[in-house]
Amino acid sequence: MPIAILILLLLFYAAVRRVNVFEAFREGAARAIPLLVTILPTLAVFSAAMGLFRASGAFDLLSSFFSPALRALGVDPALVPLLLVRPFSGSAAVAALSDIFTQYGPDSRIGLTASVLLGSSETIFYTLALYFGSAGIKKTRFTVPAALFAMLTSVVTGLLFSSLFFG
Amino acid sequence: MNTVILFLLIAGIGVSLLSRNAEGVLSALQQGAADAIETVLRLSGAYLLWMGLLNIAEKAGLIRALSRLLSPALKLLFPNAGAAKEAISLNLAANMLGMGNAATPYGLTAMRLLDESNPQKGVATNEMCVLLVVNASCLELYPAALVGMRTSFGSLHPSTVVLPTLLSSLAATLAAVVLCLVCTRPCRSRS
Repeated sequence: MPIAILILLLLFYAAVRRVNVFEAFREGAARAIPLLVTILPTLAVFSAAMGLFRASGAFDLLSSFFSPALRALGVDPALVPLLLVRPFSGSAAVAALSDIFTQYGPDSRIGLTASVLLGSSETIFYTLALYFGSAGIKKTRFTVPAALFAMLTSVVTGLLFSSLFFG
Repeated sequence: MNTVILFLLIAGIGVSLLSRNAEGVLSALQQGAADAIETVLRLSGAYLLWMGLLNIAEKAGLIRALSRLLSPALKLLFPNAGAAKEAISLNLAANMLGMGNAATPYGLTAMRLLDESNPQKGVATNEMCVLLVVNASCLELYPAALVGMRTSFGSLHPSTVVLPTLLSSLAATLAAVVLCLVCTRPCRSRS
């Protein structure tokens, strides 16, 4: 469904429910400002480190070393930073995806695959620390392996569906 | 996180030094940091618009409506949720609508209520583990933030990723649900 129709449906629904659309939009947009401010330092650290890593030639060196193994698994070396930071930090994952978009473009094969991988996975360790921390839980039993298994499933299916949809 | 950044920096500086390009280090680092401002500006349109629209959806009661739809299915996953039932379904509904910010307070409330009936403090109950695992697999009905982000980077087809993303997160959620049912089974038969 085109996004314009979704937005239209949302507006109709809100009008029927007598929501003050103007005020609700303002309130929500206001909450985006602290979010953008908190994401900036993460972006700065990540893009500085990643920029240096690429400019120095370390990225080419390492990816030529690992790429046979990675390609056998169907993973492009450019996706590795995104996959590594994804479970830990949402803003770092946004930084990694931004880096891929700037470098290869959002409609490139890598950009498309990276989008699917980011969109179908979660910041599992952050959520775990926040939720269990709030209830003072020390023994998390099967949570970590099960959450990692879910993440692994989303990566494998994400790669699979990407090659199916984008060739 | 720390390890990843540390590795990138040390490897970057190391290779620069080995290839006798020490001068390039500072300019590459500074350029990267400066790019962050540009990226934030790019993202600001998507963030401001989507947080505004999602707040309209929240005010219109979309989270509550979806959470009512979910609650029969949740009986299977959370048989002993008790007082936390409502907070759990609101948390999952908000997550499915892509409202991470709205989901967190519900999730924390659910954890507090679950802990009140926890016989062994400090040890996660079945319900807590399942809540976290389902949260970790994140089934999102429409990845609005992702589509917005692709648009801000000039994508010509920002929503081509929606279907594969949905299918892939559906697979992850199914895997998570099956795993949870398997993991909680032995405890149930014992009790």
